[in-house]
Amino acid sequence: MTSTDQQPFLSVKDLKVHFSTEDGVVKAVDGLSFDLMRGKTLGIVGESGSGKSVTNLTILGLHNPDSTAVEGSIELDGQELNGAPEKTLEHLRGNKMAMIFQDALASLSPYHTIGAQIGEVYRKHKGASKKEARERAIEMLRRVGIPQPESRVDNYPHEFSGGMRQRAMIAMALVCDPELLIADEPTTALDVTVQAQIMDLLKDLQREFGTAIIFITHDLGVIADIADEVLVMYGGRCVERGTKKEVLRSPQHPYTWGLLASMPSLDGPVDVPLNPIPGSPPSLLNPPSGCRFHPRCAFAEKVGGNRCATESPVLEITDGRGSACHLTDEQRTEHLADLTAAKHH
Amino acid sequence: MSFSRRNFLIATGVAAAAGSVLTACSSGDSSGGSSGGKQEAAKAQTTTVKIGTAEDSKGPAPEVSGAKKGGKVYLLNDDDFSHLDPQRVYYAWNSLAVIVINRALTGYKIADDGSQTLVGDLATDTGTMKDGGKTWSFTLKDGVKWEDGSDVTVDDVRHGFERAFASYITEGAMYVQSWLTGSTDYRKSYSGPYSGKHLKSITTSGKTITFHLSEARPDFNYVVAMQTYAPTPVKHDTKQNYDKKPFSNGPYKVKSHDTDKSMVLVRNEHWDASTDPIRNAYPDEFDFSFGIEQLTAIDRLLADSGNDQYAVSWRTIPQERVQKAQTDAKDRIFQGLSSGVSLYWINTTRITDKDVREAIIKAWPTAAIRQLQGGSVRGDYATGVMSPLVAGYKSQDVWGKLKNPAGDPAAAKKILEKAGKTGAKVVYAYQQDPTQAKIKVVVENALKAAGFDVVSKGIDSTTWYDQTGKIANPYDIYWGGWSSDWPTGYSVFQPLFDSKAIADGGSNYSHLKDPAVDAAIKAATAETDNDKANAMWAALDKQVTETGAFIPDVYMRRLYLHGSKLGNVKMDPNFDGCMLYKLYVKA
Amino acid sequence: MFRFLVRRILGAVITLFIISAITFMLFYAVPRDPARMACGKLCTPETLQLIRHNMGIDEALPVQYWHWITGIFLGREYPGFGHCNAPCLGYSFVNREPVLSTIADRFPTTVSLALGSAVVFLIFGIGTGMLAAVKQGKALDKIASSASLVASSMQIYFVGPLALYFLVYQFHILDQPSYNSFLGDPLSWANGLLVPWLVLALIWTANYTRMTRSQLVETLTEDYVRTARAKGMSRRNVFFRFAWRGAMAPIVTIFGIDLGTLLGGAMITEYTFSLQGIGLLSVKSVQTNDLPMLLGIMVITSSFVVIANIIVDAVYGLIDPRIRLA
Repeated sequence: MTSTDQQPFLSVKDLKVHFSTEDGVVKAVDGLSFDLMRGKTLGIVGESGSGKSVTNLTILGLHNPDSTAVEGSIELDGQELNGAPEKTLEHLRGNKMAMIFQDALASLSPYHTIGAQIGEVYRKHKGASKKEARERAIEMLRRVGIPQPESRVDNYPHEFSGGMRQRAMIAMALVCDPELLIADEPTTALDVTVQAQIMDLLKDLQREFGTAIIFITHDLGVIADIADEVLVMYGGRCVERGTKKEVLRSPQHPYTWGLLASMPSLDGPVDVPLNPIPGSPPSLLNPPSGCRFHPRCAFAEKVGGNRCATESPVLEITDGRGSACHLTDEQRTEHLADLTAAKHH
Repeated sequence: MSFSRRNFLIATGVAAAAGSVLTACSSGDSSGGSSGGKQEAAKAQTTTVKIGTAEDSKGPAPEVSGAKKGGKVYLLNDDDFSHLDPQRVYYAWNSLAVIVINRALTGYKIADDGSQTLVGDLATDTGTMKDGGKTWSFTLKDGVKWEDGSDVTVDDVRHGFERAFASYITEGAMYVQSWLTGSTDYRKSYSGPYSGKHLKSITTSGKTITFHLSEARPDFNYVVAMQTYAPTPVKHDTKQNYDKKPFSNGPYKVKSHDTDKSMVLVRNEHWDASTDPIRNAYPDEFDFSFGIEQLTAIDRLLADSGNDQYAVSWRTIPQERVQKAQTDAKDRIFQGLSSGVSLYWINTTRITDKDVREAIIKAWPTAAIRQLQGGSVRGDYATGVMSPLVAGYKSQDVWGKLKNPAGDPAAAKKILEKAGKTGAKVVYAYQQDPTQAKIKVVVENALKAAGFDVVSKGIDSTTWYDQTGKIANPYDIYWGGWSSDWPTGYSVFQPLFDSKAIADGGSNYSHLKDPAVDAAIKAATAETDNDKANAMWAALDKQVTETGAFIPDVYMRRLYLHGSKLGNVKMDPNFDGCMLYKLYVKA
Repeated sequence: MFRFLVRRILGAVITLFIISAITFMLFYAVPRDPARMACGKLCTPETLQLIRHNMGIDEALPVQYWHWITGIFLGREYPGFGHCNAPCLGYSFVNREPVLSTIADRFPTTVSLALGSAVVFLIFGIGTGMLAAVKQGKALDKIASSASLVASSMQIYFVGPLALYFLVYQFHILDQPSYNSFLGDPLSWANGLLVPWLVLALIWTANYTRMTRSQLVETLTEDYVRTARAKGMSRRNVFFRFAWRGAMAPIVTIFGIDLGTLLGGAMITEYTFSLQGIGLLSVKSVQTNDLPMLLGIMVITSSFVVIANIIVDAVYGLIDPRIRLA
């Protein structure tokens, strides 16, 4: 894949996804923008309900059009997806853009064989015959490392192990060589060894085909492994963005600090106690005023006044780097210094 | 009650279920007003059952004015006939059909006004009686033939009587069998004709057949009109299978019979109208459909479209359609007093004190009960057990039921107090269905008002007769019905009140054991003078009523409907349904 | 599959034996005498005894049951009815025909009624249920849902006579209900059964509408349905191949049970429309204390229910590969 193409492959601008429910409007995504280049991986981090999964379902157009209002722009390779006709989206899904879901057991149809489920994507988009589709399915299963794919292709999902199901799911997503792959917590349910294998597989495939990947997770360890850039979401908004290095090494937002503190460090001492972020994710029906993180933020006092509760911080991005917080650069540097000091103690 | 029809029929012979016997007119009841006249007509028709002469017995039957031959008639029946084999036919709803297939020695010639004459049917006259009623001779007419053209012979007639003894024939009447052998356990004396033996008590000579009875039976010529005693051809007796397709000697023969589904009767070309004083036989064909429920049949007749215009139902108009029929299809209703009498038995083995029985009868809410069963269309208030259709019927009113059908609990209370039996416990048994449940309440209230301690017991209607028919049954009062097998008093009083008829499953439901009644039955049975005998039976009606062994209820009425293209559709006074042999298809 | 069938059929045979034995005992638990009914109006104890002998009910209960069982395999001789060929379920006390031939005669009516109405209620019930599920929450869904609620609360004995009155008697739109052999004349077969089919279907459709809707609403939210959409499958394809496939299994189960029940005879329907099927036959047999017929009907109809269950389980295994048949 050539990298001379400087146009972002996927460009999301000011995306707003609002669901109307009986209780009112849920602002699941509230003004989200990001770009993704070909061959790059964007990690999206956040707790459950932060809007990361909704964002990606919306990109594929899988939201319920009756109850969902989508604003903003989603451009894939220069083509606007928001408001595009269903036929157009149908043609792109599974073909140019594909998705890997979290729970492979639930996400694969129990009524069809693995081979049929993989093959039908190929037949649909490539117009292949049944026989060709089956051969392609076997090839894909072999590529994702399923042993004896010739016989396994006729198995049902319940006859596969958890790791194999996830591989089959990946095979299904990649069968048409998609240019954009959205992986929604694909490894969460798997044990560590299998997780590592899957990650390696995705990396290999990306290297080979130059696929752009959006990797959704709440696990910063996984991000550290795979992402080029990181986007941290909180309460339907982006609170911090930057390269993997920038976000993990010098995080700017107190929420990112909280996330980092809540995970075990691979390179640090194992006996450091974990510090989960106190409080619970915000309601998207009645989001907190001002900064949505302020009720859980330990630094709101430092900002002073009542600013965090009244004024929504603006996300300012320079060269793909920035965060939405009222803390000054000095205050952040001070905190990070304390943190480093504590680490080295 | 519509479900339990067959069971009811089987147990009593009264082809009527409570609530389904309906008719338009009322009587006996002073509030009935203008319709009172019809009751008089009914009475008139009954008192004229007379014995016809040889001249009366000659064919053909008098023409029905306006009638013409030809056409097809459709019959809408709920159930198939339980029997067609004459020896197995007993119940009215079977007889109604079989009467056009099988002729017996005698039969009833019914005039336009409903009056009846007993005439010779296969026989030249109504028979010759000798030995004070112990010997009876009948001579066959010339020209009476089976459906294959062969003559009906005295051997065939004898074969009919003899085959009634066969072990597979258990459903028919048993009167003649016991008179011919002198025993109710008649099979011990004679086991039927299939062993090659004939009954010694029947002799034949030329075209004459003579019966030697063990007891005097002055009304024997009525008895042989029963289909049970019709001939069966010796050559065509298919035994058990005869029931599905009998061999005809009447105006129609069975063309096809698909059990429980359909039956087609077509003309028997060998039937000679000039030998038959009873049957006109106008239509060419009768098409029976079975499995058509009562309500469906009546709704189809009310709609009166297509073939249903040529149809008639074997079932009465159900209570819920009576009003509609009377408004929409008044001219297509045919009706009459049936031979059935409804009454409530009082168990005399349990309630031995006649005063207590009298108190029950006095208190009984007859009017309210009739109202719950359709009112005046249910029937006319009864005063005894003898139907107005039985020869010699005489109006009497022992209990003042005509004057006060509502009942008089106050008077009953006095009787009970006088007898020192206030608070006496009575057990009332009733069939479990919605109408009977309402009647139960009315009965309970009336008896309580009279000072009784009432206990009601519901009985599943399919086991009603099994339970109330036991001698040791634990009930004091239970409903019953009866219709006579021939229109003389014998088949009313002997089965119901003869102390010999007290048995488990027997017909003396009140268990009355009264020497005076027994003696009176014996005397009336032996009386050879018809008029005297009839008067004796009428007196017996009063006598048994006075014993307090039953509470008179109603003389039942019936209301039927026919299609608009049928003419002269009338109710048979003996078999309580339409007379196939008198109706015709309109042009 | 073979083991599954052998095991289930063995179980079915045992079930049928138990059912027949219980029916036998229950029949005699009630104080009634079938012989009384075949006896004349004026019955004598001698005649009663003769009838009991003729009917084969003069022996001890276990002996009678034994005769009944052996009759199925070996045939049986009746003093009153003659020989009954194996498989013999006895002679009816009432119409005095072999029970099996009467049941065989009535069965086509019941089967026609059941299958015909099943076709109608499946098409309309599932069709409407699908529409309602697709248009979830919209006017069409609300109309279908409330209409099915109304229809399901209706009863045959109410709708039946009403339909007869308007469609047949009053306006002559449809033919008088009747049964004509399908082989004889398919057109008059369908004509004669149209009214009962429609009435029966009206009431059953509602159940299937509601069931289909609720099943589909559930499966449409399944992850694998979302996956199918994410793969670029068309809405139609997703709906039928994925969502409907998942919704089908419970519907097939219920349908199997319903069909078994319908094949046992729709009593009220057959009564209302005067159709001579198994349902009407069983009602009449109860009324007339016709034990052999009742037993025969019980055994035949319960074997249909049992067979329907086996078929449903087998079909369930085909629909859902996760269910293993053994």
